[in-house]
Amino acid sequence: MQELTFRVQRYNPGENKEPYLQEFTIPSSQGMTVLDGLIYIKENVDNTLSFRSSCRMGICGSCGMLINNFPMLACHSPVEELKTDRIEVRSLPNFPVIRDLVPSLDPLFAKHKSIKPYIIGPDMKEVEAPTSEYSQSREELEAYVQFAYCVKCGLCMAACPSVATDSLFLGPQPLGQAYRYCADRRDIGAKERFHVADSPHGIWLCHLAGACSEACPKGVDPALAIQLLKRAMVSDSLRLRKKKKPASLAQPPATSKPKIDVPEFTVTQ
Amino acid sequence: MKETRLKILQYITGIGLFFFIGAHLFASYLSSGEPTSWESVSERAASSGWLTLYLFLLIFGLYHGLHGLRTIILELSIPNSAVKVLDWALLAIGVAIFGYAAYIVINAF
Repeated sequence: MQELTFRVQRYNPGENKEPYLQEFTIPSSQGMTVLDGLIYIKENVDNTLSFRSSCRMGICGSCGMLINNFPMLACHSPVEELKTDRIEVRSLPNFPVIRDLVPSLDPLFAKHKSIKPYIIGPDMKEVEAPTSEYSQSREELEAYVQFAYCVKCGLCMAACPSVATDSLFLGPQPLGQAYRYCADRRDIGAKERFHVADSPHGIWLCHLAGACSEACPKGVDPALAIQLLKRAMVSDSLRLRKKKKPASLAQPPATSKPKIDVPEFTVTQ
Repeated sequence: MKETRLKILQYITGIGLFFFIGAHLFASYLSSGEPTSWESVSERAASSGWLTLYLFLLIFGLYHGLHGLRTIILELSIPNSAVKVLDWALLAIGVAIFGYAAYIVINAF
């Protein structure tokens, strides 16, 4: 059986001054992912190893790590695709380390919260307690749906060279999500988000390196969202931005008829 | 939206610089005759058209350069509270350089 060498970042803030790498040699198996390797180490070699994971299928975004110097989801990284039997795993850069491979994502969530990542509708009562559905065309959906796939894993923030140089820079995830809500026709909060993105450490410090889009495991393309947000903000500043009509509520169907005949049941006691 | 307006000006001055520097380089190196001779330089210095062009080149170049410098300084993670101080400092530097450089260009006119 082929063996793999994992060089894993270890760091305990109470004991170590700086992170260091520890080497583990483990057996590989077919279809093994980097996360499987880390789980093997934790279960069989060193149970003090700390890392974060949950769904194991690239949905939750918990297991973001720097794998062979590229930010990836450990569960989404088959060992075979790395084309090497030496795998170096470090905590995500641009985030403080809590322990070993566990980064603190607090800065990401604080910046994300600042851009108001929710629908700001013309009638907030309707948003909070909906009485009906909003009507939305396919084109209106396609304007934002790609950017709605974000799982907040932080890989884009870890890959961004601007976040690396300026920790106050908002970063690709919050800016991408700002555009996601601005492009949604149910939303009328663009001005509020423009105000946040227009800060000195805001959108204009993005130099379009494109590393965020390359790292994104969900194909969100934050760099595109940022460029579209820049265009919207420039148009708004020059008063060239078209005012979008807020989405209207769809009329509920008059009668709901099932597509297939469903026999009616009566419960008899 | 202050930052967006500053950035729009950065783009405008960038495009303007392309043409102004192009005109300057053309006059200095590509036009017929001896453009770098004393007579030619003093002739351009006495021309109101060239004076206007060089003043615009000065304003556009100063804005473009100082805004670029501001962006680099901002990337040093300076806090938002210090941005106003930085802006006033750069404005003062810009005005001082413009005053001195404009004096030289106008004096030669």
